[in-house]
Amino acid sequence: MYEKSLLILNGSCRKNKTSYIFAKTLKERWENTGNKAEIIHIIEYFDGTKDLDSIKDIIKRNNIICLVSPIYVDTLPYPTIWFLEKLSTEFSNLLLYKRFFAIGQCGFPDVSLCESLLGSCKCFAETVKMKWLGGLGYGGGAIIDGRSMEDLGKKGKKITHALDLALADIFKDKEISSKPQELLNIKIPKLLLYPLSFILNYRAKKTGKRYGVSDLTAKPYLK
Amino acid sequence: MKSVILDAMEIENHIEGTLKELLIKKNESFSYFKLKNMNILPCRSCASCCYKTPGKCVFQDDMPEILKAVANSDIIVLVTPIRFGGYSSQLKKAIDKLCLIGMPLYIVKNSHMLHPMRYGNKSLLGIGMADGDIHGQVENFQQLVGSNALNMQLNHKTLVFKKNDTLHKLETQLQNIYQEVFQ
Repeated sequence: MYEKSLLILNGSCRKNKTSYIFAKTLKERWENTGNKAEIIHIIEYFDGTKDLDSIKDIIKRNNIICLVSPIYVDTLPYPTIWFLEKLSTEFSNLLLYKRFFAIGQCGFPDVSLCESLLGSCKCFAETVKMKWLGGLGYGGGAIIDGRSMEDLGKKGKKITHALDLALADIFKDKEISSKPQELLNIKIPKLLLYPLSFILNYRAKKTGKRYGVSDLTAKPYLK
Repeated sequence: MKSVILDAMEIENHIEGTLKELLIKKNESFSYFKLKNMNILPCRSCASCCYKTPGKCVFQDDMPEILKAVANSDIIVLVTPIRFGGYSSQLKKAIDKLCLIGMPLYIVKNSHMLHPMRYGNKSLLGIGMADGDIHGQVENFQQLVGSNALNMQLNHKTLVFKKNDTLHKLETQLQNIYQEVFQ
């Protein structure tokens, strides 16, 4: 086993979108320190395109695990919870005393929306007796939308810096400090939420029209 | 008042029997879904339900049955083992698809950006069965139900049982909380 090897679980149903961009950045930054990192996509195990049993060797060769996940209806997506349940019931002996941290990302700027997801990750760590090293929430998932950190300019640099600081804590086996989260917070004045909603609604209606749909408010299941 | 119960319990328990008895006694109509017997596919985040077929998923599964009931209900009841301080995967498979009751539009309410709901105001009751002594799991479960309620703009209550709680305790607490929700 490598001294500090990092396994990154992509908890998204989509393999190349925002969670993957976070995972890819974490992998690159971790490898820059001369250590090993690898990414797996939970959805491949859920869909059965990868054998769940093959996860054993992957867990064995890594001593730190990170989950990067989008928020679906306020917490982890169904396939990700399924995967954590499998880890907990079938492979918990392999996880014992390994390190665990998590990153949750959502499309809404309010980072407090990530709290339930991170709380669940913490409970998972306690359930399988891993050491919880903390979590980060990011509320600008829609801004990234699958673009690389380099393409995001200043925003990308700030996110990368936050991840570097978090990884430095992880490397020292310390819980993630408050600074990375401060850097990831998106501050939108409350008054700006109204024009922002107006713009997003305009865009949504435009997208609907592109598909020939003029009424996005349909109620298909109402009697 | 019409209730929709999404039951994700995997082991023998008294919740189903007690809930049904309570609702029958009150002469309330309800739809009861045992999720472990249902084929519900995961949300692929393809956004088709937002822009191509608003409110409908393009993947064929058993979810429309639940959505019909939810659309025409007043109360949504979630019954789940508390798993890592949240919902079990059995419940989450249905919850992820409840995003279909939201519109891909935005409103601002109490300083929160939210999606308007397609089917109006309802109440949410989250019932969790706690197992073990994982620190913070109950609080996190309550927070999750609260966040769902905030985002779906529902009134909400949560109720947490422990595996070894007596049937009497379960009956009394369910009766009390249902009373509050009906009010």
